[in-house]
Amino acid sequence: MTKQPQFTVTDKPEALNVTFHLNGNETTLYVAPSRRLVDVLRTDLAMTGTKISCEIGRCGACIVLVDGVPHNSCLLMIYQCEGKSVETIESLQHEKPNRVQQAFLEEGALQCGYCTPGMVMALKGMLNNKENPTYNEMKEALAGNLCRCTGYGGILRVLRKLSSDDID
Amino acid sequence: MRLNKPTEQYPWKIRPDGKAKVSGELHYLTDMTRENMLYGKVLRSGVAHAKLVDVKTGEAEKLPGVKAILTHKDVPGLNGFGIAEPNQPVFCDRLIRYEGDAIAVVAAETLEIAEEALALIHVDYNELPILDSPEKALEPDAPSLHKEGNILHERDYKRGNVEGAFNRCAHTVEETYETPRQMHVYMETEGGLFIPEKNGRLTVYAPTQHGYKDRMQLARILNMPVDHIRVVSSPIGGSFGGKDELNVQPYGALLALRCGKPIKMHYSRMESVIAGLKRHPMKITMKTGIDHEGKLLAHRVSIMSDTGAYATLGGPVLNFAVEHSVGGYVIPNVEISGKAVYTNNGVSGEFRGFGGNQVTFALEGQLDRLAEKIALDPWELRRRNLRELHDPGPLGQQIAANDGPLHVWKSIKESPLYQSEKETLSDNLPWMRRGKGMALAMHGSGLGYGIPDPAGGKIRLNDEGKIEVAFGHEEFGQGLLSTLELMLLDHFNCDTDDLHIMIGDTDNVPESGSSTASRTTNMVWRALQNMKKPFLTELFSKVHELTGEDRSQLMTGKKGVWKRERDKSHRFLMSYKKLAGACADPIVCTTEFHYPVTPDPVLGGHFLYSSTAVIVEVEVNMLTGRVRVTRADHAVAAGEVVNPLGYLGQIEGGSIMALGFTMTEDAIMCNSQYMTRNLDTYLVPTIFDVPDIQNVDAIEELPEGDTFGPRGVGEVGSVALAPAIVSAVKQATGKWITKLPISPEEVLDGGEGFFSHCFKDSSAREGKETG
Repeated sequence: MTKQPQFTVTDKPEALNVTFHLNGNETTLYVAPSRRLVDVLRTDLAMTGTKISCEIGRCGACIVLVDGVPHNSCLLMIYQCEGKSVETIESLQHEKPNRVQQAFLEEGALQCGYCTPGMVMALKGMLNNKENPTYNEMKEALAGNLCRCTGYGGILRVLRKLSSDDID
Repeated sequence: MRLNKPTEQYPWKIRPDGKAKVSGELHYLTDMTRENMLYGKVLRSGVAHAKLVDVKTGEAEKLPGVKAILTHKDVPGLNGFGIAEPNQPVFCDRLIRYEGDAIAVVAAETLEIAEEALALIHVDYNELPILDSPEKALEPDAPSLHKEGNILHERDYKRGNVEGAFNRCAHTVEETYETPRQMHVYMETEGGLFIPEKNGRLTVYAPTQHGYKDRMQLARILNMPVDHIRVVSSPIGGSFGGKDELNVQPYGALLALRCGKPIKMHYSRMESVIAGLKRHPMKITMKTGIDHEGKLLAHRVSIMSDTGAYATLGGPVLNFAVEHSVGGYVIPNVEISGKAVYTNNGVSGEFRGFGGNQVTFALEGQLDRLAEKIALDPWELRRRNLRELHDPGPLGQQIAANDGPLHVWKSIKESPLYQSEKETLSDNLPWMRRGKGMALAMHGSGLGYGIPDPAGGKIRLNDEGKIEVAFGHEEFGQGLLSTLELMLLDHFNCDTDDLHIMIGDTDNVPESGSSTASRTTNMVWRALQNMKKPFLTELFSKVHELTGEDRSQLMTGKKGVWKRERDKSHRFLMSYKKLAGACADPIVCTTEFHYPVTPDPVLGGHFLYSSTAVIVEVEVNMLTGRVRVTRADHAVAAGEVVNPLGYLGQIEGGSIMALGFTMTEDAIMCNSQYMTRNLDTYLVPTIFDVPDIQNVDAIEELPEGDTFGPRGVGEVGSVALAPAIVSAVKQATGKWITKLPISPEEVLDGGEGFFSHCFKDSSAREGKETG
């Protein structure tokens, strides 16, 4: 496949072509290399499923998977994604929610929902690497995601539902 | 009703906005964009107190890509906003009162250009002495921050003879409590999109808890008729009271009208910290006395609240604190004085609990200390003083019959955690100590006496054949949509597909008052009660007219109107769609009413209250002073549970917000500058800081004859946790904490620390050597 620029987001001289896989599609952007991934996603590509909140990697609202591993997209510059695979919450916009999403819905693990895409991606990233994680392993996977509405009560119910060990 | 065991059955229901939220498909108002939009960015003063001399924008205007720069000279109407008192300038003109004060706003083609432009605006100012505490602001020679001086509001209350009663007390306790400047930390920071429409109108897409109030305030600023402005205000990525006041709206609106183009604004977290509201830090001194039987006789309270640079709701928050400093107890002699004082600190305003959290921490601390003095179980001491069904309210005002405090008191007594053995040491780890603590609170809902608190709603059969309801309330995560859906399904027995719920859009919904003060569930419940009968009467009349069927046999159901048959094999008569098509005049009902208020003229006094009691277990590491809450169980008396999942979520969420208030959260200011400017230094609880399970016992029973319906539970989960934790820490360590958040140093200092004898020995040695 030939790499053709699909988007031009800036004509500043320092811009360069960056090519990566975005939700499975090869994507080339002509973009300033230091532009943050979160801005490229939300502003340049209008993919607003990835949220922005603290911008210093503390809250996890902007978590995406890079080569399958959770990353805060506010801390990544776009040149760091060259040749990588980037997966955002938009890859999970199917008719039927996946089992993590379904558990979030059933257990009231979201209220305002602004932290939810980041949490869903963090859990997806951990489940990519581990088939039957324990409750504590899943909890650890969410250590970098802040939720201000639920007090984590619903989220802990989700982990109980999805974990391999019976912690009750 | 124990809420923690999901039934996975009705009414444990997935929220209607859930799927769009778990998939990131939901567009929050800060996610919205338009072609050719510009980015707006506010220049903040950065200094806490100064005389503003001049603002030079020339250089910034020349920057390519900059489309407009506005200052105070560009405000066509009132250069001020504020829900209660519009004394916060949109742009400073003469005086800078805090570091978040707005000086100018820029519209540019990109955010980066807008930020660059801010750096090119030159502000000349002369610094003035900083008033960084209420005490400093009250000094006689302190400069005045506002024309009325440095006191925003005072509220005093007195009954009986406090001094005389203290003389008769067997025991008294006097203590000063301090609470932190808590930050809302809504995950979605303030922002929105502002669109100048072709017909001269302005559309504002920006989160708020009260769209109509924003519209009124914007009309005042823009000098524009209210009906030329449309405010779309939901969905919201969290608020907790923090977005009830205007934030980005004046700037976005002014720029949109000036530029004739859509303006997008979205505060960074740091700007949100500097410019956003906080919970009022309060210093509360209480002297409380009991007789030999443990009956409360006298209670003297003085409250000093740091309201920051501008009024917003500082007055009503103080009123609330004054009222709730008596709690759900019967105390014959009471004297309370409260002051809300202007300072150069960040602006304090509305925050979940509304001043109740601060005073409940103090009041419950008093009861625990008194129980210790009289060597009585602290829970028993509370029982001896709790209000009964027909006792007057905290300020002596008539209130709806209420025995909620007794119910929650009993519930805690029956909880497994209360029943479990007292255990102060943890297994195998001699430096870990355990403790249990309890606290109780009664929390008013609605805005209180003296403040207009109207509500209303609308229902109609719309052209598509949906039962459509419209309310001016907002969905900020609390689950209003879910609660409404459940209520409507209950009333009309229809499908969710037959419903259309409209909220948060001033062009399409009636005024329903603010979504605040735990009032929304209560108000929509009553609105539906009011509208159901007239709506069905009209609906069935039309069906009768069309089919000749007897009105009394008609009922609404799935997809349409049914005829009731004796053998319950109900017969489908007509779809809602067909019915809507057959109506020349649409079937519409509206209602307007006022929130129930006490008949007694007691400023801010409430009429309806919910109650809560909490029991917690903590584990304290006596080497580090770190406290961990291992379990928290709640009892809440707020009437019927309409939406169990939402109710549970509100209590769990409120509780953990209070856990942060107690353990880690403090927006620290030094010389009136925020030191904790982002979430790396301002610490909110993570998933590792919370107990794995919090049980919630919802007491649904209301006194006989109470027709006021279910009360909202948005705040009540957050008001009583702090004193319960502090009480548990005392049990574990022997140390009373008086200042929140609990600092590890204070836990260890003077308490029965694991190595405290070693420290004492070593300091004694050092003393000898240096001496």
